[in-house]
Amino acid sequence: MVLKLIFKDNKYNLLTILVICVFAIALIIFLGSRSNEEVQNIVQEQFNEQQLLLARQSTDGIEEFLNQKTTIIEILANEISDKPPDEVVTSFITVYNKTTDIHVIEFVNESGIVTLGYPEENSPLGYDLYENNQEWAFEQTRDNKETYISNPTFLLEGGMGVFIWTPIHEGDDFKGIVLVIIRISDISDRFLKNCESPREIYMIDKRGTILYDSSNRYRWGRNYLDKLGNESPGLHQILHHQMNGSEGTGYYFEMNGSEKRLIAYSPIHWRNQLWSVAVTSPASEVDTLINSVYVKQGVFIGVSGIFLLLGSFSIILLLTRWNKSLELEVASKTSEITKSNELLKRANKKLMELDKLKSDFVSMVSHELKTPLTPMKTSAEFLLQNDPDVNVRREMLELIVRNIDRQTRMVNDMLDISRIESGNMRYRKEILDIGEIINSAIETMKKQSEEKKINITTDIPPDLLKINADKDKLIQVFINLLSNALKFTPNGGNVEIKANESEKYIKVCVKDDGIGIPADKINKIFNKFYQIDNTSARPYGGSGLGLAITKGIMDGHGGTIRVESTPGEGSVFSLIFLK
Amino acid sequence: MNPDDIDKEIIKIIEKDPGMPYSRIAELLQISEEEVKEKLEMLSDTRQKILIVDDELDALIPLKRALEAEDYLVIEASSGMEAIEKTRSAHPDLILLDLMMPGMDGFAVCKVLKDDTLTGHIPIIMLTAKGEIDDKIEGIETGADDYVTKPFDLGELKARIKMILRRTGV
Repeated sequence: MVLKLIFKDNKYNLLTILVICVFAIALIIFLGSRSNEEVQNIVQEQFNEQQLLLARQSTDGIEEFLNQKTTIIEILANEISDKPPDEVVTSFITVYNKTTDIHVIEFVNESGIVTLGYPEENSPLGYDLYENNQEWAFEQTRDNKETYISNPTFLLEGGMGVFIWTPIHEGDDFKGIVLVIIRISDISDRFLKNCESPREIYMIDKRGTILYDSSNRYRWGRNYLDKLGNESPGLHQILHHQMNGSEGTGYYFEMNGSEKRLIAYSPIHWRNQLWSVAVTSPASEVDTLINSVYVKQGVFIGVSGIFLLLGSFSIILLLTRWNKSLELEVASKTSEITKSNELLKRANKKLMELDKLKSDFVSMVSHELKTPLTPMKTSAEFLLQNDPDVNVRREMLELIVRNIDRQTRMVNDMLDISRIESGNMRYRKEILDIGEIINSAIETMKKQSEEKKINITTDIPPDLLKINADKDKLIQVFINLLSNALKFTPNGGNVEIKANESEKYIKVCVKDDGIGIPADKINKIFNKFYQIDNTSARPYGGSGLGLAITKGIMDGHGGTIRVESTPGEGSVFSLIFLK
Repeated sequence: MNPDDIDKEIIKIIEKDPGMPYSRIAELLQISEEEVKEKLEMLSDTRQKILIVDDELDALIPLKRALEAEDYLVIEASSGMEAIEKTRSAHPDLILLDLMMPGMDGFAVCKVLKDDTLTGHIPIIMLTAKGEIDDKIEGIETGADDYVTKPFDLGELKARIKMILRRTGV
């Protein structure tokens, strides 16, 4: 009911569908963005965890490296406390060569003067700390009696280095200090070069001094906080966390505020020093990652979709074609059946026609055979029962003979047609003059023509080519045609027989001015048993075999017979004999 | 002039003047002398008249001879039309009617004659070469009094003729 109301009007239909579509699209977009956000958050977290691991890996490495060095130096300092200077240098050489990344090992005597060092080119031998106001760390170390590491600072030789001050005591006597310098660049080369753009890595100390920055935005030695100024408050906060020795993850916006960067940081605890390593990446990396996942998923979905589409399309195509071929097959079978039905129907009709013709023929034949029997029987019985005078007796006997002849003719006709049909008709061919044949046929029919006062004329060229044919059969052909012509021509009419010759054939025409043949019957007159008027009211008797026999004989001679007729005016039967 | 009227006129003339020659009568009635002679012979003949109708002359002749030998007056007709004409003019006592005839067939002739009050009383025996039961029914339905198939037994036919003539009391 409601649906009916809603879908009553086509206009409203369209609008409703449109609104539903828009709503559905909005819902899909909303859900999509929600899930995208969630995915982004999850991936971002994971990503930062990974960055943190990376940072930790670096700081662990650096921490271990520096503590190891420090321990080695402390052992060295303990060892060389009672040794002469040349042995001290030998020890320095051993340590220098056995370890890596030590820039220089120096010995500072108890009065703050560098007296020994290896390698010598890096050692400012004779350098007096007091004279150069560098005694603070020296005194700190001497007074605290433990290793002190000064903040990273610029080296005289360039670059930044970190100074490890280790005191040497012999008993309670202060003997001097082993000073080892490690270049920051050596540390960063070893531990912080494993990061690729767009990922960046930097290292600061607890003062915020930049020790290393892979982005090269700020030079080492500068203070990160000073350089930032008021920009990137987020990064400020993170730097403070770092300088406090915290570990963590977060994000900040770059100076111009456009790019969001994810950051993970981890501290390095090394004696009195606190450094921090941070790994940063643009947040767009996460998007790229997600997008790459989306792209891959999209490609997968697209490819599967295409496969599905292609598959279903081909199935549909296959089914359609199958269906179509089935339909075609059914149609062709149906038409075949219809055709064969039609053929059967036609054959049946023909059979029924034939059957009717046959039963008509049988009744005709029985009539024709019985008809002569009646006078024969009546005459014979009359002669038996009475004793009439000679004339009557003669009349009766003549009548009997005449009817016997008639029946004989009938039987002969039937034999002829049966021979023609079974192909057993024998022809005794000889060279014949058509004119003679026609004349003898006319002679035979003389009585009938005279009775009806019909004038038979002939027009036969005397030099007409002779033909090869069976004389008796050919005479029968003309007798049949003449008999028909006489039968269907009224008293006092005319029958004309004409012959002529052309290049290929001889043509003989038998023309009458009789009743003619209706157009719808003309094709059937050569059929056996056929009579134009086959009812009991048939005005012209006959077996219906004459023309069938005639055609059969003509066929047997390789000739043809044709007829043209105008009802009421007459008929022309043409015989064609091929030369 | 109607054949019946001619007969009546001839009788009238003869009654008035029995000695009038045939030529005079013919002149009066505007018919040929032969016809007058034939009419008078027919009128004077007291034999029973049988009309035989058959298109086959050969079937007609022996039957005519046989019936004449039985002392019947036999009139012939070779077509349906002729049969109707002869019936009307000669008033036969019996008609032997062939069924299969060109033009108007036996059934048609029978129907015409039986439907006419003047000729309806004349008994008709149908003769046919077709011995099928359907023909028999049609023959009797159209009013034929008897039905004989060809070739018939002459003795039997004669007996039937006699029987029918006795029944009709001629």
